[in-house]
Amino acid sequence: MPYSSTLSLSHSDRKSLDPRDFQIVFLASFLLYGIIALDWAVEWDKYVVLLVTAVVVQLGFEKAFAKSKSSWKSAVITALGLSLLLKSGELWVLALAITLAIASKFLLRMDGKHVFNPGNFGIVAVLLLTGEAWVSPGQWGSGIMLLLFFGSAAAMVLLRVGRIDTCLTFLITYGVLEYIRTILYLGWTHDVFFHKMCNGSFLLFTFFMITDPVTTPNAPKARILWAVTIGGLAFFLSNWMYISTAPIWALIIVAPLTAVLDRKFKHQLFQWNR
Amino acid sequence: MYRSKFWVYLFLLLIAGTSAVPASAFCGFYVAKADATLFNNKSEIILVRNGQNTTITMSNDFKGDVDEFAMVVPVPVVLRKDQIRIARADLFEKLDTYSSPRLVEYYDPMPCMPEYALEVCDAVALSSSRMNLSSMMVFDAATNYGVSIEAQYDVGEYDILILSATESDGLKRWLLNNGYKIPAKAEQVLEPYIKDQMKFFVVKVDTQLFASSGYQELSPIQISFESDRFMLPIRLGMANSQGTQDMIVYAFTQEGRIECANYRTVKIPTDRNIPTFVKPKFGQFYTDLFEKAYHREGENAVFLEYAWNISPTFGVKCDPCNGPAPIVQDMMNAGVDWVDARNGQPQVFFTRLHVRYSRDEFPQDLLFQVTPNKEHFQGRYIMTHAAQGDMSCDEGQAYLSDLEVRRKKEVDELYALTGWKKDNAVNYIHEFSNQKKGEVFPIAIPGNGGKPGGMLMILVLGMVLSIGWWWVNDRRLAI
Repeated sequence: MPYSSTLSLSHSDRKSLDPRDFQIVFLASFLLYGIIALDWAVEWDKYVVLLVTAVVVQLGFEKAFAKSKSSWKSAVITALGLSLLLKSGELWVLALAITLAIASKFLLRMDGKHVFNPGNFGIVAVLLLTGEAWVSPGQWGSGIMLLLFFGSAAAMVLLRVGRIDTCLTFLITYGVLEYIRTILYLGWTHDVFFHKMCNGSFLLFTFFMITDPVTTPNAPKARILWAVTIGGLAFFLSNWMYISTAPIWALIIVAPLTAVLDRKFKHQLFQWNR
Repeated sequence: MYRSKFWVYLFLLLIAGTSAVPASAFCGFYVAKADATLFNNKSEIILVRNGQNTTITMSNDFKGDVDEFAMVVPVPVVLRKDQIRIARADLFEKLDTYSSPRLVEYYDPMPCMPEYALEVCDAVALSSSRMNLSSMMVFDAATNYGVSIEAQYDVGEYDILILSATESDGLKRWLLNNGYKIPAKAEQVLEPYIKDQMKFFVVKVDTQLFASSGYQELSPIQISFESDRFMLPIRLGMANSQGTQDMIVYAFTQEGRIECANYRTVKIPTDRNIPTFVKPKFGQFYTDLFEKAYHREGENAVFLEYAWNISPTFGVKCDPCNGPAPIVQDMMNAGVDWVDARNGQPQVFFTRLHVRYSRDEFPQDLLFQVTPNKEHFQGRYIMTHAAQGDMSCDEGQAYLSDLEVRRKKEVDELYALTGWKKDNAVNYIHEFSNQKKGEVFPIAIPGNGGKPGGMLMILVLGMVLSIGWWWVNDRRLAI
């Protein structure tokens, strides 16, 4: 049975509507927004290195693994994701990050799908290995407009790939825990809570990283469980370990759980453009 | 067809949006500084972060009766006496002077006498302002209030208590009954800190000791502690304040720049060419520039004003220099404990951040993170003096035309940076026009050089999103 739980269009329509096209347009527009509106430093050399390395490594692995269908779009998405999230003063660090990210898709596999979100894996790998990279969780600032902006863009992608459940479950889990702690327990005012929840980096992660349809569990129930675990862990790492990039670490830790959940909850494997 | 036009437009837009050309190479003199004293309602903090260790030095420019002085700072742990010190007041002045935004000066070479081609440059700097700390103390039985005195020390002219509390109302009453004038709304802000297991570092002045010391000003207090948290609690200071406060943070790390983890850290506009008439008003120029940048960035950003490698073994520590770079002794005074002669080649990176915060725009305390970013940065503004003398040669005439265009751009830049009116700048633009042969043609007005406004951002984003939507739908219809 084809994967069709969220798509009601005809077969030919579905083929034309690759959600990855949306993702590429949106991620690129976020980058543009950051550069123009948020005064980010423009680093063309870094974007080019990330994009070119991503596509080259992707095509190289596809050739080596004799894949018939190319996923260069996924590589571009990963490269755009790293352009938005990962910082480094060294081009080789970014090249390493994207290489490891793409390589992880081919080398770290279980049950026919890769274990880690490629962008997440690349970021964590260079953070741990090089000491020359960092993530700036404050770079978007915080605001309700970001929630609407990222949220509406994400909805257009997620409704197509059927991962809105993952995103909402994570958001609700984290939000409820944060609400209990920040407002009900500590006694801060609501604006403190909203300032935390509307952090742009947090939202980008929520809408565009955790929702990667390939690395999330296949079954809806499993995805709910998975997202709750990540939400809980991110909340813990943020409030007790004081890690400002907590969601990224929570995702990498919980990612291998996908394989376990997929065995427990049997469901159709996701594929782009079926 | 349309799609390809769109991409061309997008490309042009990108180029336009990012082609704010950085100014020419650095040069060795400095003319004026925009230091911290320009800002009212300002505090200065030195932050040293090494692993889990944090040292915070708080300047103290309290001007009233020292009897009235008191300070309450939430801290994550109970501090030992050896973790509390008095720091030298001149340290702030030195760091401020060293890192404040600067004006540099160039001189055009004489076009008709190329052998005189000289390029001189010069600089001017600005500095920051002092912290707003108020309250006071004498001790009382704490247990009835749910307050515990965890430690009590005399350090320099200060009486210091480390308190923990179980409820905010008790802490507030205890502080009030013991003579601390804490803000009326402090209670609701104390509560979250108490619940978060924070302790309270409470300071008042031993007036007798201070009187006998002969000093006129209170000393900065320095505290060190080990904690995973790298933050500055700003909420308590805003409990009673409706307005804004400025804070300058001077930070030392081993790895690189610090940045704010929960607010945007943006660079203050730099390397801009401005008219020479700004020189005597450079302080005002920078305060207006900061004000405009503060509003443009949404009143909730933290500004980077300076970042430099100041390791003892690192060569050029500023370019141009407003003042001497911190030496090893200064760093040790600030709490940089790894910079020791026996320590091989210690790395020290210095960051200066400037934040204007208000209760509404900064609901959370400032969280920081250390990054490996070692890129140098300085707030630097350039003025170029026109060549003077005989301009009758062809090169001289061409120079005069170029000069008018350049000065027009400088005036536009000044307007973009500060909002200063352009009306008075006509004479400046045409100062040397009378030396031009023949008719003087009006000069085309170049763009303002500023960044696009908020509406444009929205338009661009709307455009990108709608084109994305249209693109996909278009594909769908095409099938």
